[in-house]
Amino acid sequence: MAAVVSIQNVVKSYTRGRQRVEVLHSLNLEVQSGEFLGLMGPSGSGKTTLLNLIGGLDKPDEGQITVAGERLDKLSGSQMAAWRARHVGFVFQFYNLLPVLSAERNVEVPLLLTKLSRAQRKSNVAAALALVGLSDRASHKPTELSGGQQQRVAIARALIADPTLLVCDEPTGDLDRESAEEILQLLTILNQKQGKTIVMVTHDPRAAAYASRLLHMDKGTLARDESRTAA
Amino acid sequence: MKYLPLVWAALRRKPARTLLTCFSIMTAFFLFGTLEGINVGIANVVKLTSVSHLIVQSRMNQGAAMPLAHAVQIRSVPGVTAVAPFTIVVGTYQQPNNPMIVIGSDFDAMLKISSDIIVAPEQAAALRRTRNGVIVGVTTMKQYGWKVGDRVPVRGIAPKADGTNDWQFDIVGTYTLQQPDWATRIWANYDFVNEALGTGKNQSVLFYVGISDPTKSAAISQAIDDRFANSPDQTNTANEKDSIETTLGQIGNINFLVNGVCGAVLFTLLFLTSNTIGQSVRERTGELAVLKTLGFTDAGVQWLVLAEALTLAMVAAALGVALSSRVLPWITSGPTLSSQGIGAMHVPNMVYAAATLIALLLALISGVPPAARARRLNIVTALSGR
Repeated sequence: MAAVVSIQNVVKSYTRGRQRVEVLHSLNLEVQSGEFLGLMGPSGSGKTTLLNLIGGLDKPDEGQITVAGERLDKLSGSQMAAWRARHVGFVFQFYNLLPVLSAERNVEVPLLLTKLSRAQRKSNVAAALALVGLSDRASHKPTELSGGQQQRVAIARALIADPTLLVCDEPTGDLDRESAEEILQLLTILNQKQGKTIVMVTHDPRAAAYASRLLHMDKGTLARDESRTAA
Repeated sequence: MKYLPLVWAALRRKPARTLLTCFSIMTAFFLFGTLEGINVGIANVVKLTSVSHLIVQSRMNQGAAMPLAHAVQIRSVPGVTAVAPFTIVVGTYQQPNNPMIVIGSDFDAMLKISSDIIVAPEQAAALRRTRNGVIVGVTTMKQYGWKVGDRVPVRGIAPKADGTNDWQFDIVGTYTLQQPDWATRIWANYDFVNEALGTGKNQSVLFYVGISDPTKSAAISQAIDDRFANSPDQTNTANEKDSIETTLGQIGNINFLVNGVCGAVLFTLLFLTSNTIGQSVRERTGELAVLKTLGFTDAGVQWLVLAEALTLAMVAAALGVALSSRVLPWITSGPTLSSQGIGAMHVPNMVYAAATLIALLLALISGVPPAARARRLNIVTALSGR
């Protein structure tokens, strides 16, 4: 398997007030294509910072990050935006759907950046909503959907541009147990049947159990790396 | 066009706020279109008036009646070619709230003085033959659906000599002008009106005077006024252009008033729109960060916010000016202006162009700061809610 994500000696720090806080210390990591990687660790351990770097939302202070064959630390802001549109699908804890758009319009948003025709976009949106089992909810607005359904719309939006990598930040953090199970099963199917590489931050051991590899972070370093059989 | 749903969605996010802002912009541009339309209309009236006609009015009080005998003396002033007296019937037509003004004058003299009046010779002759005949402007004919041969009953405000208030005028012809919209007057025979009047017989509220040499209008005006310098009915003579400018000057500097009011309204509007767009962007910080996360560039998000401001300003301004273009002719087609020979005013093309430019500027000035903020928005900071 080829490495989709390659992180070498990455350092990232933030300025809080007058203090400079180093969040990631010389981190090294490789994620292989088709892996379902779970990132766990206490608050402040650097999980979300690492996820932001892998997803191209932020840049490291030092070190190299190569994702889907692109050196992210070398890209400009607009190049990074174009790269994200092509290679990464994001799933957030609080879904982050646009509240006034219907489910299908929300899913269509990433395709607005492509050259697809309206008819092609519509057809792709229908396929993505069918994949997450929400064809009958296409015209509903986020407020008319349950949390689990909103997260499935968010997953459809993340998948619509057929990204190389799915980046999930606590995707079940705001869901009840039943909905969380559904979302995790959906992610597992995407990983196993469609070969999507998934990097997921979670606090929930039950969610982490779905990952094929689990990384424990502590104080900005990788504390433990477990390969495991997915649930 | 494919981004239109996003722009539309942003505007629909708080429909009441968007509607109220839209209504404010619309009202401001309605006011702008109407006032500037009147302003330009008045300027056109002045531009189209002639320096080759003189208007003689009472020096004591504009609109006060002068003796008809003045006409003979005015005619004897060297350089004067024709004199037409004006006496007026003020009344209503069909409904008490439908005012009507009929001018009793010497129409043949008017034709000599005002070469822009276009009337068929046989209809002018018919007016001479028909004592209660009237020649009506084409715009007024159209407004009331009249045709030649119709009898027009007018209920006068003041009683006639016979004690009644009822006037009957027969339409014997129509006239038009270079600008047909302004052909609004109703011309009757002076003698017919004068004889029937209950009070104010043998008087004229003004004299229209034709002169042989427009370059001598000031000297001739002075000569006319000198004739009546020792009379109890002194006159004030000026060419038509000066006369109208003087009348308008008594109201005030209309251009300054209109531009001042419009400027103040649009300036206030700028704060309102800036605040609305700014507030809207602040509320959507997270959503804009999500768009950036999904691959929209900083410039792309900036343009979306600008497009939102542009859509709001342009659509509302277009509605406001469109409304003024419907309302202005309606509010300026009353009998007061009609009797002055001024037809309904229309919003001129330059006002449409100015409104477009102002709406564009409004959108840019109010939209650029929040758009720049959206451009600078840091995804990580915005998504973490910091």
